[in-house]
Amino acid sequence: MKNDVILDIRNVTKRFPGVTALNDVSIQIRRGEVHGLCGENGAGKSTLMKILSGVYPYGTYEGSILYDGEELKLTGRAIHQARELGIAIVYQELTLVPNMTVGENIFLGKEPTENGSINWDKLYAETRDLLNRYRLDVAPQAVVRHLGVGKMQMVEIAKALSENAKILILDEPTSALTESEIDKLMEIIETLRQHEVTCIYITHKLEEFFRITDSVTVLRDGKTVTTQPTRSLTQEKLVSYMVGREMKERFPKGNRHPGEVIFEVEGLEAVDPNETSRKVLKGVSFNVRRGEILGIAGLMGSGRTELVTTIFGEYGRITKGSIRLEGQELHIHGAREAMQHGISLVPEDRKGQGLVLMQSILKNISLANLDQFSGFMRIDGDAELEAATQQAKSLAIKAPHLQVTVDSLSGGNQQKVVIAKWLLSKPKLLIMDDPTRGIDVGAKYEIYKLMNELAERGVSIIMISSELEEVLGMSDRVMVMHEGRSTQTLSIHEASQERIMALATGMELTATA
Amino acid sequence: MGVSTDAQSARARTGIGVELGKRFRSNIQTYTIILALVAIWILFAVLTNGAFTAPQNISNLFRQMTVTSFLAIGMVFVIVTGNIDLSVGKLAGFVSVVAAYFQANIWYSLIPDMPLVAATLSVVIGVGVGVLWGVLQGYIIAFLNVPAFIVTLGSMFILNGAILLVTQGKTIPANQPYFSEIAQGYLPPLAGWVIGVLVVAFLFWNMFRSRQSKRRHGFELPGIALDLATTIFYAALVMGYIYWVNQYRGIQTPVLLLAITAAIMAYVSNNTRFGRYAYAIGGNREAARLSGINIRRSIFLIFVLMGLLSGIAGVVLASYVGYGTIAAGQGYELDAIASAILGGTSTLGGVGTVSGALIGSLIMSSLTTGLQMLNVAPAWQYLVKGGVLVLAVYADVYFKKNR
Repeated sequence: MKNDVILDIRNVTKRFPGVTALNDVSIQIRRGEVHGLCGENGAGKSTLMKILSGVYPYGTYEGSILYDGEELKLTGRAIHQARELGIAIVYQELTLVPNMTVGENIFLGKEPTENGSINWDKLYAETRDLLNRYRLDVAPQAVVRHLGVGKMQMVEIAKALSENAKILILDEPTSALTESEIDKLMEIIETLRQHEVTCIYITHKLEEFFRITDSVTVLRDGKTVTTQPTRSLTQEKLVSYMVGREMKERFPKGNRHPGEVIFEVEGLEAVDPNETSRKVLKGVSFNVRRGEILGIAGLMGSGRTELVTTIFGEYGRITKGSIRLEGQELHIHGAREAMQHGISLVPEDRKGQGLVLMQSILKNISLANLDQFSGFMRIDGDAELEAATQQAKSLAIKAPHLQVTVDSLSGGNQQKVVIAKWLLSKPKLLIMDDPTRGIDVGAKYEIYKLMNELAERGVSIIMISSELEEVLGMSDRVMVMHEGRSTQTLSIHEASQERIMALATGMELTATA
Repeated sequence: MGVSTDAQSARARTGIGVELGKRFRSNIQTYTIILALVAIWILFAVLTNGAFTAPQNISNLFRQMTVTSFLAIGMVFVIVTGNIDLSVGKLAGFVSVVAAYFQANIWYSLIPDMPLVAATLSVVIGVGVGVLWGVLQGYIIAFLNVPAFIVTLGSMFILNGAILLVTQGKTIPANQPYFSEIAQGYLPPLAGWVIGVLVVAFLFWNMFRSRQSKRRHGFELPGIALDLATTIFYAALVMGYIYWVNQYRGIQTPVLLLAITAAIMAYVSNNTRFGRYAYAIGGNREAARLSGINIRRSIFLIFVLMGLLSGIAGVVLASYVGYGTIAAGQGYELDAIASAILGGTSTLGGVGTVSGALIGSLIMSSLTTGLQMLNVAPAWQYLVKGGVLVLAVYADVYFKKNR
């Protein structure tokens, strides 16, 4: 049973005009296993998944795919057909309707009906049974909008399972999850394994392969590099397969010498501007030195993003406390004022908040700083181009030229465009909210290097990160948040994963605030 | 109008053919619509035995398109920011009856012997009414957060009522000699040639200036042959147009006005912060906000601009028709929206060009004129125009998918 192959991908090649996205890829996936798929962005993972889920139907690629011993021929309504055959994909971007309940979402498009009207009791009963069977802890009648990202993901999985999925493709399922939510997800996958649901697991977090997968396939530049049982692999081996070279360290060592304190937040309290009875910050104090990287850790919902957007003047209404930059107290109303004071924010959601996707790299880089290139009316297009070119060069943005629209770039390059945009205003304090979320190892490394360089030049950086390794690998000090409060700021020597988790989960409560 | 100010940062020095091919592929939308226009003209020219492309008809065709073109230009900006303005037709109509009212009832008794002053004041008042209305709408939309669709829908009703109040249901003449010149005047042929020469000189100057500036900033230049070919093409287009309309009565004043307005607005859309912000807001409002753009202010100004252009359109309308009537401006908002969309403006916001809207507008008025010349019943004219709009957008969707 264990060696029974459910999916046999044979010599699949997929070409786009000008690029070969997949080049003779062969992978065998056994029934009931959790199969990791690993590779940098652009390695071909998404293309392969799009073939499996019918986005690129049969005939648009070369080679063959045997599913349960039979040739997989997805044509016509291919996406629908894939789902009917039992191949389901849980997308990186959640695809639920926020204003509907869990049950409605799961049965969207296949509501049980009786004489043309929906049988709600049946729908919710089936939802309940489904959720129970896979031990998913969500209420069937809960409105999705009110759920956290972790629970939304469970609903996505339940939705896939409701279609009797035999193969479940999980595309970066943990990118938005907190540690405890990840634990929960791992349990769910374990349950799926017991139910003989085959999982294809895609992630950028290498340690997850070792937590959950049975075997891992590495793709590089559209080719299969290797498929190996997970137990014979190590993180270092994986990385070297992915990048095709040995990578000694995941975090480049900087030569940082933090100077005096330049930025101070004291006893900051703030409320949600749309719902002033809801406190989002309940007392946050910390400081940042010149040329220092301060990591901010904390669980999802601990107020990390709320904190930095409030500092940037774009979110919370401050009710108490003070913010000082170079000794001067700031009262910032909006992004423009923050930038005038020398504060930049690389926002959390690259596509949603950082970029105008349909516009060129050039226009995205210059957007926040057009006043640098314009007099009363006119924008000096050449000066703009020159400045943007310089930024693009120093950040090594990979694109044929700056007129390319950013939606065609890889995640890592997109993030570089966002960073370029915010460096153009020459910030003293650069706030980066989860700067490496969803980007590949190579691009992460470049962004880390860039952060080091900036810090060495005297820019102070606040980095929020959901990955503890990243926080520990990059920060000089780590400030841990818990439920809207700052708990402690640890020097990098006292910080450890266990210590941070203890503070973040409130196990170790300390009142330094 | 099609002068590309986009500086290509890296472009290999390859043959003109390859270059043109590249340009074509990257602007497929613009070229599709131009090809559609050419096809329509050829079709009508054949069906009317050349009467369609005769100087007199071409002259009238361009004169006819001006009113909705002013509205379409403003509509591009409105739609690009992700908004809509349903009131522009009625606003232009209201402006036209106000301008007529002042001429017929006020200046007549107030300043009886100063026709030029009276005409000027009519224009000022007309445009002023447009701007004021834009300020009001913009304020409600941007600062009081009422959706543009609703505000402008309401304002369409209100202006309709206002038109009835001003006209009392009657037709008001607006045919002062000077005022009529605005939409019915022609430049003497010699003046036309002088303008033509100036424009062509500007095109070449602009090309060399742009190359010089690129060289100064150390960018790779596109081949001189390509730049020359493009510039010569536009120059030929301008001179050809002037030659043709001079065969009839010369450059039409309203067309000259439109060309100036369009050139300014095309420049604003590309080369000013105001223009860039409009595109960024429509493309990703959140990213624009976090980039420090004052979104309320931008949207407010967009509606003021729309009011200004509606005011100009209204004045031209009054002068063109020679009357202020209760039906003035009826349905123009739909023509303006259709022109903008035909010209490639995305209803989702963030994408659209002034030059595209002008070509869209030209297509719409070509269809009207051509079908009229073929004695096609008005019912069928509507059917054809509606069909063409949907077909054009479908073609665009299709090409995007299969690129």
